[in-house]
Amino acid sequence: MPKTLEFQIATPERVVFEAPAVEEIILPTQMGEITILPDHIPLVSSLVAGEIRVKVGGQEVSMAVSGGFIEVRPGKVVVLADTAERAEEIDEHRAEEAREKARQLMQEKKTETTDYTGLAAKLERELARLKVVRKHRERKNLGPKAVE
Amino acid sequence: MPQATREIKRRIRSIKSTHQITRAMELVSAAKMRRAVQNVLATRTYAQLGWQLLSELSARTDQSRHPLLARREQIKRLGLVIISSNRGLCGGFNHQLTHRTNQYIQKNREQNPQLEVDLVTVGKRGRDIMLRTGHNIVAEFTKADITTRIEVVAPIAKLLISDYLSGKSDRVVMAYTDFISPLTQKPIIKQLLPIVKEVDLNLGSARVAGVKQEEQAANFNYEYLFEPTPDAVLENLLPRLLEVQLYQALLESDASEHSARMMSMRNATDAAHDMISSLTLAFNQARQASITTELADITGGRAALGA
Repeated sequence: MPKTLEFQIATPERVVFEAPAVEEIILPTQMGEITILPDHIPLVSSLVAGEIRVKVGGQEVSMAVSGGFIEVRPGKVVVLADTAERAEEIDEHRAEEAREKARQLMQEKKTETTDYTGLAAKLERELARLKVVRKHRERKNLGPKAVE
Repeated sequence: MPQATREIKRRIRSIKSTHQITRAMELVSAAKMRRAVQNVLATRTYAQLGWQLLSELSARTDQSRHPLLARREQIKRLGLVIISSNRGLCGGFNHQLTHRTNQYIQKNREQNPQLEVDLVTVGKRGRDIMLRTGHNIVAEFTKADITTRIEVVAPIAKLLISDYLSGKSDRVVMAYTDFISPLTQKPIIKQLLPIVKEVDLNLGSARVAGVKQEEQAANFNYEYLFEPTPDAVLENLLPRLLEVQLYQALLESDASEHSARMMSMRNATDAAHDMISSLTLAFNQARQASITTELADITGGRAALGA
């Protein structure tokens, strides 16, 4: 039997996903995407907004996350995310709207730096969500959602 | 007759209205408790995983890596955060907590008579009690009835960290009430800074399904790799996880407060109920007694006349 990892992703609101045996985890970090395989050395790193992909039992589960932390221990990976959503849970239309809103606000307020950084983070988060949901839809062959 | 029964009647009426009030308060607390408990359960896993990470980090990385990990030889000033409630009528909730805190302070003073304690209070009741016992309060934070956003603890965490870094306190602990069940709550003192492993006094923990205690991991002698650099990661991670611990403590206190209040209000309602029924009995007895004496008078008078 191939080696596996225990995986758990928690946010302050809930435990988004956990599995006792996953084969591979792809995480977005500050240094770029990293892939964690079993027997990875213990690691602590910061998570950035993006997509987490987990291979469990041959299937891939994808999630959108904003910032947070990653901890790799022997035999276990823990993700402490600020927010996280499973691909199935994201409503594409709403994600698109939120992105648009964040971008507009950003153009208006480019001069106010404090707001700008907050909005930039928000935009990044919305982009990550959108990316995850689009990919998820493609994989399921549902095609793009009708735009009103 | 009217004298005795009127007195009892008045008391029954007043107890009945108290009964109504306490029952209403019980229902309100029950609703608040449900919400608070929901919140506390949702974040417990996150908080506990965060705490595990913190304590593993402190055990496995060089203390000199970050000032928040470094232990100090001498503890001259102790920073203490005490999380209490805003309102009373919740049984022994606040007194248990302040009692436990005073015990802790006393124990530490025995070891170190020069120890100064600076209090940071969250919640009005704890502040009032600690003021009365003559402690030094350096900061006071207000608190909502039910905390729902993690942002509210940011200023508290900021204050604690900056005081610790500037040497205003050499150790920071927090006192809060751990929510075990609606019937049991336990006041707990937990060390926040410096971050050390031994003092894990389980923040709502050990009871969370899905988070196993890592016994076997302790046997491995591993060190963490940091990406991109230890400084960059720790700089973000330590304050954030401390915030999470404070937030969780606040939620635990909220849940405890509302369940304590619900229980004490239920006890009050039950006691009022008992009092009403025993007073009603006394009332009926008094009424019957006066009727009997009146009857005895009448028949006695009649017998005297007829004779």
